[in-house]
Amino acid sequence: MERPERVAAALGAQPRANGCSGAAHGALRNGYVRGLPAPDTQINHIVHNGGLYKRPFNEDFEETPMLVAVLTYVGYGVLTLFGYLRDFMRQWKIEKCQNATEREEQKDFVPLYQDFENFYNRNLYMRIRDSWNRPICSVPGAKVDMMERISHDYNWTFTYTGRVIKDIINMGSYNYLGFAQNAGTCQEAAAKVLSQYGAGVCSTRQEMGNLDKHEELEKLVARFLGVESAMAYGMGFATNSMNIPALVGKGCLILSDELNHASLVLGARLSGATIRIFKHNNMQSLEKLLKDAIVHGQPRTRRPWKKILILVEGIYSMEGSIVRLPEVIALKKKYKSYLYLDEAHSIGALGPTGRGVVEYFGLSPEDVDVMMGTFTKSFGAAGGYIGGKKELIDYLRTYSHSAVYATSLSPPVVEQIITSMKCIMGEDGTTVGKARVQQLAENTRYFRRRLKEMGFIIYGNEDSPVVPLMLYMPAKIGAFGREMLKRNIGVVVVGFPATPIIESRARFCLSAAHTKEMLDTALKEINEVGDLLQLKYSRHHLVPLLDRPFDETTYEETED
Amino acid sequence: MNVGVAHSEVNPNTRVMNSRGMWLTYALGVGMLHIVLLSIPFFSVPVAWTLTNVIHNLGMYVFLHAVKGTPFETPDQGKARLLTHWEQLDYGVQFTSSRKFFTISPIILYFLASFYTKYDPTHFIFNTASLLTVLIPKLPQLHGVRIFGINKY
Repeated sequence: MERPERVAAALGAQPRANGCSGAAHGALRNGYVRGLPAPDTQINHIVHNGGLYKRPFNEDFEETPMLVAVLTYVGYGVLTLFGYLRDFMRQWKIEKCQNATEREEQKDFVPLYQDFENFYNRNLYMRIRDSWNRPICSVPGAKVDMMERISHDYNWTFTYTGRVIKDIINMGSYNYLGFAQNAGTCQEAAAKVLSQYGAGVCSTRQEMGNLDKHEELEKLVARFLGVESAMAYGMGFATNSMNIPALVGKGCLILSDELNHASLVLGARLSGATIRIFKHNNMQSLEKLLKDAIVHGQPRTRRPWKKILILVEGIYSMEGSIVRLPEVIALKKKYKSYLYLDEAHSIGALGPTGRGVVEYFGLSPEDVDVMMGTFTKSFGAAGGYIGGKKELIDYLRTYSHSAVYATSLSPPVVEQIITSMKCIMGEDGTTVGKARVQQLAENTRYFRRRLKEMGFIIYGNEDSPVVPLMLYMPAKIGAFGREMLKRNIGVVVVGFPATPIIESRARFCLSAAHTKEMLDTALKEINEVGDLLQLKYSRHHLVPLLDRPFDETTYEETED
Repeated sequence: MNVGVAHSEVNPNTRVMNSRGMWLTYALGVGMLHIVLLSIPFFSVPVAWTLTNVIHNLGMYVFLHAVKGTPFETPDQGKARLLTHWEQLDYGVQFTSSRKFFTISPIILYFLASFYTKYDPTHFIFNTASLLTVLIPKLPQLHGVRIFGINKY
């Protein structure tokens, strides 16, 4: 098995700017690959001649320009100094303190909270707080209505003006296939089930809460994923955090990606297993950890590990990167460990028929031991599922904490999932589902390409519907959110400490419900704001693709 | 867990000094401080250098060795609350590159200050005392040590 190692080693050697761009995109190779393309040329041929990857894997994380990094630190430094000044003024009563404080009578007691832990919250987050927790008052589809609010005291309190801002283009909802609708077949079916079954189950799966709807859903999910059996839970977060402890325990090893979601980290910690973290999507790092684990065994006793579980996600929602699944599976088979794949963002969004990242790479679902996903993003519902072999799911039905203690899914939600899943699979007799999946793929490619052409730094894989646009400086986080809202576009912005200190970003989530006109409007506004705020940092200067003009009838390099 | 956080890094403070461009920004900051001090007409060159050295060491002491904890909530149940930033760097691993850099930079500044003050005795006392306040807390033997209980809680 020498070839996968070579591919893995070569691809993992440049963890940041690893473009294994296909031979077809010859002109663009310099845009994706940093440094000399000569050593990579051979790898591309290997990859395309029946190697691990059946399609080009273009992932790009352009490094922060040094000037931008220095200015970002200066920005945070100035904010810190001003924060100390304001805290000083608040302490000496020169300025009114609007934060919650302890009562005067309790000042001599041992303090309940540490003031300093709230420093960032008081002095940085409060200033730009109006970009988050915005109240919406319509279904968050492609367009959303928002209640306008203003603040007279720099975001410490908000007042509603009473006006409703209508038809804001929604680039922030995880609405990948556009099922966040309040009209249509899904809604009608869910309404019927609501009148038939009621709103709640009022019990856990193992007691009285196991409805025939749940059994129907689980059979459907198993068929959808191509696995033997599946089980559905009421909450996506709880699926991860309650089932990983049921699968691994003390004496097991968990190898978790650096950027895994909080639910996976919580589940890993609750299980009591040893956790080791490998660099994000870096197969060399993962292989090194696997080798060390097998050679050295458990820390002091040197006994072999009972189980080694690799935790990865399909699409990482903050980076927009897709997991290198073929290599992970090759490593898993070589070192005889287990794979837990969290497809929260990739189910429904990747793959020619929306079956997720396994289909995207053309692999078999049997290679993944535990396929987990959520219904929240692409299906417009709530909850999570785990799919796998029948013995595994039967075990989870008995031993999972969610099955024993948590309420099961609510019937109208189940019906929403069933209807949307049948729509995607085409079993409702229409091609609406397939059209949505393809529309999402086109939107993704188009949007990413246009943003890269404009000169923004965009992270992530070319095919991922999550598009992080780098902002870097703390002031631009607030400015971007506000400017986009002024232009009637709603975006999500993220900064430190949720991201590394020099990598604040705005994250766009594309949807099949976005029409080309909406995307063009959004792109025009992003272009304007980018010029206004000087966000066009990219130094790669891609040559624009010479492809056919995009219109509804022709498909741009869709999966085939 | 801090939901909405994009990474499984428990304490981002540990990695801040390793990020790209931090050392350069720090050096530029010291340079800027020095230029500002040199532009004040009352200060002669030796005084400006000694002041740069002393103010830099004072700032370094306050931010790296006096302030404890993190300016944001971390999901580590308060393990870092009683640790200064220096002690938090790289989760307490000694002799990492950031630690070496921040140990060497006050020494370099000290050499420069000694040279430009022409080894004058008064300046020497100030510079050396201030260098010691910033070098001694960085010794690995003093990791977590609080002399006379100062700054313990």
